[in-house]
Amino acid sequence: MTLTGTVQTVPPEKRRRRSRGFAPAVPVLTFLLLCFTLPVLALLLRSVMEPHLGLQNYAALLATSTYANVLENTFVISFIVTAITTLIGLPLAWFIAVAPSRVGRFMFGIVILSMWTNLLARTYAWMVLLQDNGPINNFLIWTGIIQNPLPLYGSMAGVVIGMVYIMLPFMVISLRGPLASLDPSMFQAASLCGASRLQSFTRIFLPLLLPGLAAGGLIIFVMSLGYYITPSLLGGAQDMMLAELIAQQVQTLLNWGLAGAASFVLLVVTLTLYAVQARYLAPHGLKRS
Amino acid sequence: MLLDFSQLGWWRIALCAVAGVAVVFLLAPLCLLIALSFDSSQWLQFPPPGWTLQWYREVLADPNWLNSFLTSVELGIVVTLASVFLGLLAGFALARGNFPGREMLRGFFLTPMIMPSIVLGIALYATFLRLHLAGTFLGFVLAHLVLALPFSIVAITSALEQTDKSLEDAAMLCGASLWEARVRVILPAIRHGIFSAAIFSFLTSWDEVVVAIFMASPGLQTLPVRMLGEVRQNLSPDIAVVSSLLVLGTILLMGLTALFNKDSKR
Repeated sequence: MTLTGTVQTVPPEKRRRRSRGFAPAVPVLTFLLLCFTLPVLALLLRSVMEPHLGLQNYAALLATSTYANVLENTFVISFIVTAITTLIGLPLAWFIAVAPSRVGRFMFGIVILSMWTNLLARTYAWMVLLQDNGPINNFLIWTGIIQNPLPLYGSMAGVVIGMVYIMLPFMVISLRGPLASLDPSMFQAASLCGASRLQSFTRIFLPLLLPGLAAGGLIIFVMSLGYYITPSLLGGAQDMMLAELIAQQVQTLLNWGLAGAASFVLLVVTLTLYAVQARYLAPHGLKRS
Repeated sequence: MLLDFSQLGWWRIALCAVAGVAVVFLLAPLCLLIALSFDSSQWLQFPPPGWTLQWYREVLADPNWLNSFLTSVELGIVVTLASVFLGLLAGFALARGNFPGREMLRGFFLTPMIMPSIVLGIALYATFLRLHLAGTFLGFVLAHLVLALPFSIVAITSALEQTDKSLEDAAMLCGASLWEARVRVILPAIRHGIFSAAIFSFLTSWDEVVVAIFMASPGLQTLPVRMLGEVRQNLSPDIAVVSSLLVLGTILLMGLTALFNKDSKR
């Protein structure tokens, strides 16, 4: 978030003064250069070096239909997950903000509890819930809504459900600050001027929350793009996402060149979207939270 | 009008309905885990045909689960100590230092946070393979430290920025050296920042799966790595037991944090 946005805050006259206090940063900088920057650069380098110098890995990534499908899947699933998370997260955050404080605190506690629970524990629960003879399908058949079990486990629907579950807390937290900063008198003024609830919702409520929604949505979208565990456990082979492709290339095919190319694509998209956020969205989001 | 719960009219019903569904959605998996851990059927029948403590006994008696639990704890502690130490160094440089490129350095220190963990995982794997660090405890520590450090730096830097620098100057006027003043005066003053840095570092290491998969070896597995291996093989009730214990741990941790926050406000 602070990647680009705050560089200008050091006035030029201060920069010219004798620099001091850099020494403590040296060990940290060395550690990160050795254990973070160099390994990532080395990986990206392999994408143009292996099996021989050139862009063949990138060409393969975009031209092979299996890989192109994975790219498309990644964006489609991330988009659906972001949309559904926003649609549930907004009313939930809104409820938490306006409900009697004890109820609101309790609900927020549940959100935090689910977020802090081990990722594999949560994904395992969904693996059981979504089975053909799992609780959800059993319940739906028992009520007579469906005759045959829905193919939830090992399908895109399963991936989306599992990922929405993981991402929902992030949306609620992103909207907490913006919701708390809304001024009730604005809505009183609107209603005095004869605005209906729908009008104050669409003309005041949503526009004021838009920065928070955009910031939360962007974070969720970017996190979804690189997600590995949940899609690989809940999805089928045809729902493969980019992170799974990278892991598969390394673990079973030992194709480091293609893994490096896919990593580069993921990295560029991620960094670009974060830069967009830092440039256009972070100032609002940070001030309010 | 939209912010007053009693004046929402019809909207209140809609809002309550969505919030109710969302709570069921959030709680159902956690409740299911606990129910399954006591389920007497081995095939994860729900609702359970009967209740048993058998799976708990099996898990607690299994040395493999215990080993990976201990690995996770040891790793978490070492990572936390290293992360707080480096976080303090970085914090003093960022909050007290004055040098060109300071804000760029701050940005750089935080980049591991936004790095997709699969990319970091395979990058470190490739490098550690060459250095013979793959599958070693040291490799695990270094990898988790990269992920934990940004959280520690953020918590400690912001605590330092909220602390008055004149405290440090006063101690130095009284004859303390710079680092003596920092250790004896500033460290106690920023203990809440250090506490959150430690908690976040430990949790980051404790919950890490993706990078950990690539650091693990058959003989050295953290709890999440072992859970993933089990989940991939079969959906045995053992994982429900381990998961339930983890949910319980989360609840205890939340209670502890709430107590600590209450204490610090006083």
